[in-house]
Amino acid sequence: MNVIGAILDHGSRLLPFALLLAAWQGVAGSGLADPAFLPSVGAIGHALIDLGATQSFYADLAVTFGRSLGGLALGAVIGIPIGTVMAVSRQAEGFFGPLVKATYSLPKTALVPLLILWLGIGTATNVVAVMLATLLPFVVYTYHGIQGVPRILVWSARAMGVAEHRMLWKVLLPGAQHAMLTGLRIALGFSFVIAIAAEMIAAQTGVGKLMFIYGESGSYNYMFAAVAAIMLLAYVADRITVAVSNRLLRWDDIENRLG
Amino acid sequence: MAMRVIWGMAHWLGQAVRAAYPLLLLALLWEVAASMGWVRPVFLPPLTAVIGQLVALMKSGELIGPLAVSLYRTVVGLALAISVGVVVGFLMARIQAVRWLLDPLIAFSLPSPKVAFLPVFILWFGIDHLSKIALVAFTCVFPFIIAAYAGATTVPTHQLWAARAMGTSSRGLLLRVIFPASLPSLMSGVRVGVPYALVSTFTAEMIAGGGGLGGELVLAQRYFETPSVFVYLLVMLAAGYVIDMGVLRLRARVLRWHEE
Amino acid sequence: MLVAIFLPGFSPQLMSTSKIEVRNVSKQFDQAGSPVEALADLNLTVNEGEFVSIVGPSGCGKSTLLYMLAGFIPATAGRMLVDGRPVTGPGVDRGIVFQEYALFPWLTVYDNIAFGLREARLPQREVRATAERYIRLIGLTGFESRFPRELSGGMKQRVALARTFAYEPGILLLDEPFGALDAQTREIMQDELLRLWRSTHRTVIMVTHDVSEAVYLSNRVCVMSQRPGRIVQEFMIELDHGLNREEMVLSQAYTAIRNAVWLALRRQVTLASPRAQ
Repeated sequence: MNVIGAILDHGSRLLPFALLLAAWQGVAGSGLADPAFLPSVGAIGHALIDLGATQSFYADLAVTFGRSLGGLALGAVIGIPIGTVMAVSRQAEGFFGPLVKATYSLPKTALVPLLILWLGIGTATNVVAVMLATLLPFVVYTYHGIQGVPRILVWSARAMGVAEHRMLWKVLLPGAQHAMLTGLRIALGFSFVIAIAAEMIAAQTGVGKLMFIYGESGSYNYMFAAVAAIMLLAYVADRITVAVSNRLLRWDDIENRLG
Repeated sequence: MAMRVIWGMAHWLGQAVRAAYPLLLLALLWEVAASMGWVRPVFLPPLTAVIGQLVALMKSGELIGPLAVSLYRTVVGLALAISVGVVVGFLMARIQAVRWLLDPLIAFSLPSPKVAFLPVFILWFGIDHLSKIALVAFTCVFPFIIAAYAGATTVPTHQLWAARAMGTSSRGLLLRVIFPASLPSLMSGVRVGVPYALVSTFTAEMIAGGGGLGGELVLAQRYFETPSVFVYLLVMLAAGYVIDMGVLRLRARVLRWHEE
Repeated sequence: MLVAIFLPGFSPQLMSTSKIEVRNVSKQFDQAGSPVEALADLNLTVNEGEFVSIVGPSGCGKSTLLYMLAGFIPATAGRMLVDGRPVTGPGVDRGIVFQEYALFPWLTVYDNIAFGLREARLPQREVRATAERYIRLIGLTGFESRFPRELSGGMKQRVALARTFAYEPGILLLDEPFGALDAQTREIMQDELLRLWRSTHRTVIMVTHDVSEAVYLSNRVCVMSQRPGRIVQEFMIELDHGLNREEMVLSQAYTAIRNAVWLALRRQVTLASPRAQ
């Protein structure tokens, strides 16, 4: 019963996609739209399968996602310590706080042209752009996470003999896990957007550029297929992050689970 | 009397400096580094040069015009996103079938980098306003759907029952209970959606050209006009900041009654 | 044999050196410019092995006093001595239990209880033995690997108590420990606490708003005034603890003391707000 229930449940969640594809096919096939602008589901599917067998496509994907993850890692390595220091030190908060507030409103993609001026077109620019974009979520969520640890937890730890210098590791960071993992999830989303946007702005290797090449050469079904592939990858990456987070947070209240 | 005024102003100034000192420090460092020639002007023009360029661009119309274009695209895209998003979110909260249909689709699309759809929008709508508006609308509709859905589904049951007991119709319930009760959630959606809208506009302009601040920024970069690059960046930052402040004000007004 | 002695005023210095001495302590908070006087010239003496309850009107500063004894908040004026030495900060000689349990949500029941033991750098074997002993003591065998979120309020508070008792601080500070529990669970927990206290004979200071609870558990009840708080009355409670709960609570002596304490508290509550009925 359980297995059948599970299958039915998953199946029913997939049905809307089937309906969407059916609707798409309906519009595409009816001749309402130029077949170039709206390739049939079949044409896109064919292109997708073809891409799946193309070595260079995977190489392009690897380049793009490699840059996002690289920038993400850098953003974490720099951002988490800054957020931590801000949360425990008044002076640090006074110093970094205004900087954070000032750059909060700046669209990080806008930094790409400046970075191109400074670092030229290439992986370095993209990775730095992703790093700058992911810095903020890591700083802010780490800061709020640590600040949000209830005072009575810190007090209890103190009363049980935890020295101040160990408080961070024993109480503050564990208590901030939830916020930090949320920050990670958001930073991950940013990293993909910035990486692809940077590729599109600077017209270089990677799937961003690839989609424009397909667009310019009129291979629209391949263009759509590439979009679908990116959507799938982003979805899978997000799901993995959520699964790992929930595993790490299995002590947390159910309502607080990452959806 | 005059002493009190001067003292008050000095105090205020002192506080402002203490609050923003890292920025002032940075600005000072910038100006010194650039003027002393520690960095080449093509990489980092002096702050004074940037300000001068700001004035020049304003006079020549290459600043206000593109800013207006960007804002226009942002506003139209947002309007679309809000109207579609709120309606869809409320429908999902109300009608089980709609929720069943859209929930998996939304969950799947949410993590996607929406900018990946830009080539599609350019294909469909060209490189002028519409493709940018489409990207803004597509990117921003999601936070509003989610906010509207969350708002509508978390109205305390007892409030709904109280209204029902006092004879409220279904339509009245929606307008006079569910919508106001959803406002905090909707305002959260606005706080998320509005910055996204601005970013999407600039990004789309940077990629596809077609004017606007983003387009000008990329052009300036291509011609190595570094002072202009900085000007456009700062204007984008200022625009983002002003709009954020506006959203916060709006939120405070709309949520005057809210407990937080 | 049920005898109760009422002693208004300050406590008699009968015993040997007192465990805790609070002398002329005042506390002022600076709330957004305007200062708030939480405690004014408060005096309190607690002897070793006593169970002292502090009751008072809401906002009178009783929790503040407890936090100051724990060393989380400094006094503005006056002296606080524990074992003859001034209080300068938190320490393992003063364990604290909060109303909101303050369990570490990311640790299991076992790890929460073992926390203080591990901090004391006790050998692994001893940590394990003590932790398991306390888990048995509070009746949560089988729940060692559960997380706090999986426990009921009463179970959480039991873990919180066990956690603080386990590493054997000389003094236990309890801040309305059963305030978040329903009435029945509260009664069960009170008996648990009594059992733990009797088997360890530590000094306990408990803050509570529940007069019945204070009289049931303690051998001395202090009544605090409205803000700024001072101890205005003390009651020595000498009830026969050989009785079970039903006999105790239904006895005349208990009722008499309880009513007296309640009246004293009531007077303090209505003192500054004459319109309150």
